[in-house]
Amino acid sequence: MTPGGDVWIGIGAALAIWVVASALRRDIPGPIAILRWFAQSWLGRTLALCAWAGAGWHLFCQRP
Amino acid sequence: MSRAFGVALVAAGAAFSWWEGGLHQYSSAAHWSIAAVIALVLSAAVAFGWGRQAATAGAWVRGPLPVRRHLAERRRASVAVVIWIVLALAVVGWDLNSFVHQSHDLPTLSSIVGHVTSSRAGRAGTVAVWLVVGAALGLGWRRRR
Repeated sequence: MTPGGDVWIGIGAALAIWVVASALRRDIPGPIAILRWFAQSWLGRTLALCAWAGAGWHLFCQRP
Repeated sequence: MSRAFGVALVAAGAAFSWWEGGLHQYSSAAHWSIAAVIALVLSAAVAFGWGRQAATAGAWVRGPLPVRRHLAERRRASVAVVIWIVLALAVVGWDLNSFVHQSHDLPTLSSIVGHVTSSRAGRAGTVAVWLVVGAALGLGWRRRR
């Protein structure tokens, strides 16, 4: 495991803990609440869709 | 949306994901199919979302600005949002740091995802998740007519 990989594991663990916490407690907004917040207006929806499209193109068409 | 149409849509998405999972990222089929999905989702978002957004762009931008009042009324939710922002900044910041250094010891997020998408099942699963997120962002949470 590389040092950078260890940092990714730490960030991933923190994200996983927070996602589980948001699923267990109603007052903590989860990932779906974040998507819903972006989808409230054309501006937020457009920003999120641009990020989604860019991520898809990069991961499925470019990544070496 | 009728139940039969919904089932057909899910089946089509699953079939597309499995087919796409067998493609290489440099193949022309991967390029045109991903471009077609992006064009389809963006077109559907405009066609089905016209006049049906929950808020105007201006209200959406101004929404988070009354932070002090929001902090006072919903303290726990506000702290939770701050933690989400910190986690997102950690992902973006560490990915940028890894990209700039271009070192084997500092893998980027896309290189890690690349290990998952190197197999057909991994690529198909990642495409399926991407499709679900795109459908939610393009068509979800619109006002009723």
